Amino acid sequence: MYLYLPVALTSINIIIPVGLGLAVGLLSGLFGVGGGFLMTPLLIMFGIPSTVAAATDSNQIVAASTSGTYAHWKVGNVDFKMGVYLLIGGFIGGLFGVQAIKVLNATGNADFVIKMTYVLMLGIVGTYMLIESLNSMKKKKTEAVKTEKESGLTKFLKSLPFQTHFEKSGVTHSTLIPLLFGGFVGILAAIMGVGGGFLMVPVMVYILKMPMHVVVGTSLFQILFNCIEVTFLQAYTNHNVDFILAVLLLLGSTVGAQIGAVFGRKMKGEQLKIILAVIVLVVTVKIIFELTLTPSLLLSQAGGH
Amino acid sequence: MKNFKFLMLLLPCIFIFAGTASAELTIKANHDNIKIDFFYHGSTVSVAGNADSGTDLIIKIASPEGHEILKQKGKVAGLLWMNTGTLNLGHVPGLYSIYSTKKIEDLLSRKEMDKYVIGYPALGRQIEMTPVSNEDEKSKWFNEFVKYKESSNLYTISSGKIMTTAKDGKQAYYILTGWPYQAPPGDYLVTVYAVKDKKVLEKAESKVSVEQVGIIKMLAGMAKNKAALYGIISIMAALAAGFGVGLIFRKGGGAH
Repeated sequence: MYLYLPVALTSINIIIPVGLGLAVGLLSGLFGVGGGFLMTPLLIMFGIPSTVAAATDSNQIVAASTSGTYAHWKVGNVDFKMGVYLLIGGFIGGLFGVQAIKVLNATGNADFVIKMTYVLMLGIVGTYMLIESLNSMKKKKTEAVKTEKESGLTKFLKSLPFQTHFEKSGVTHSTLIPLLFGGFVGILAAIMGVGGGFLMVPVMVYILKMPMHVVVGTSLFQILFNCIEVTFLQAYTNHNVDFILAVLLLLGSTVGAQIGAVFGRKMKGEQLKIILAVIVLVVTVKIIFELTLTPSLLLSQAGGH
Repeated sequence: MKNFKFLMLLLPCIFIFAGTASAELTIKANHDNIKIDFFYHGSTVSVAGNADSGTDLIIKIASPEGHEILKQKGKVAGLLWMNTGTLNLGHVPGLYSIYSTKKIEDLLSRKEMDKYVIGYPALGRQIEMTPVSNEDEKSKWFNEFVKYKESSNLYTISSGKIMTTAKDGKQAYYILTGWPYQAPPGDYLVTVYAVKDKKVLEKAESKVSVEQVGIIKMLAGMAKNKAALYGIISIMAALAAGFGVGLIFRKGGGAH
């Protein structure tokens, strides 16, 4: 059955958005990512204008992350305190990121910098997560837990002022740390035009040393608020949110997020990390192919400004 | 000024006179008011009428000329394909379809094609394009533009699909065309040209209008005119759906 989308000005078979929603929502509930890096290009592939695809996806993520946060909160896997600090940092970082884009646009090679940042970030994050989680799985098999050597970074983090305990995550950090790294992800996310879940998750795992299951719930909580802000701004300033498309997507994604959360509880942290790493690397390779293969069309719709 | 006004008054009379003089070519576009509702997935439009026997026919369906801005992809550092600039196009129709009884190159001289903007080469010569430095570049980007439009079914050129039947020494013509769902709301001009000896003898015009109705019209209007409220409703609906599904799963025994 086909439905007409009033803002995208196109018609779509409802199986497509509901199916995409289900698949990406599943990943969202499993790994605590918004999935914009998968959803937006897929929507464009199915004929949705790129600006509408990105804006509508953020509206849809509001629903998926509400559903996912709720599922993880029920089993005590959301660190609200940490989430709020990361949010504040991310918000401030986003403001800087938007300014950075203005500067890049003025120099004229914004697209090059954005694409390169994206590919590098995805590549580094994916490779690091994959190697690290494979190693930690091997270690667990061969030897008993070796007392972890404190790295220079950990020592430095411990020496900072405003140390506070995050009960849900079972870690103690300076409040500056989530603010700073939240800000860092916020800057990059604004530059790349994505939610940044795939960056926030590794930051929480490797720098904040939070347990993987709490990371997923907290990341979703954080994404929820980000996407509320983005959806409003997109609807208000760019008129790019397609309500009907969002509803079709969220029909799938809210259910997908619940299923993902249930599956996630049955899996080990390492397994989750490996699968996420592989997905991130596959997306990286796909983008590299897109950049190097001759596109079938050399013209595309310009942004809706 | 006075002369001009007089001319404007005279102009329709000339057309009427011209029309009655031959009165051979007629046109009717059926399904001339296409309504975009909730379940819209494109439509069909039939164009029919009578023409002098012995003439060939060309039907053009086009939207009013406008301005388009598109992103251009190019190679960066000899390796990577990226957006490298924007292309500004003036005097371009958003939708442009040509149907003819024979290939238009065999029916019309170049001069006539340019005069009535029939065929891609004529359209290309009419379009204003910036930034392009020379003719080669202009024709390269015009070809890309046509490819882009054809990919969403907004530009087509085809021959041999118009059916004609002889009737009382005249010919009746008929064509049924698919109307792409990608065509946005607006008015579209349907023109039929009767052609003989590489020249246009007559033309007749009709209109197809496309409009949004019902819930589609309401949502599209709201997204534009009540953007803040629209944004808040979109967010509220998403929050409610997320919580709702969460509750259903809890009751359904999804949790342990």
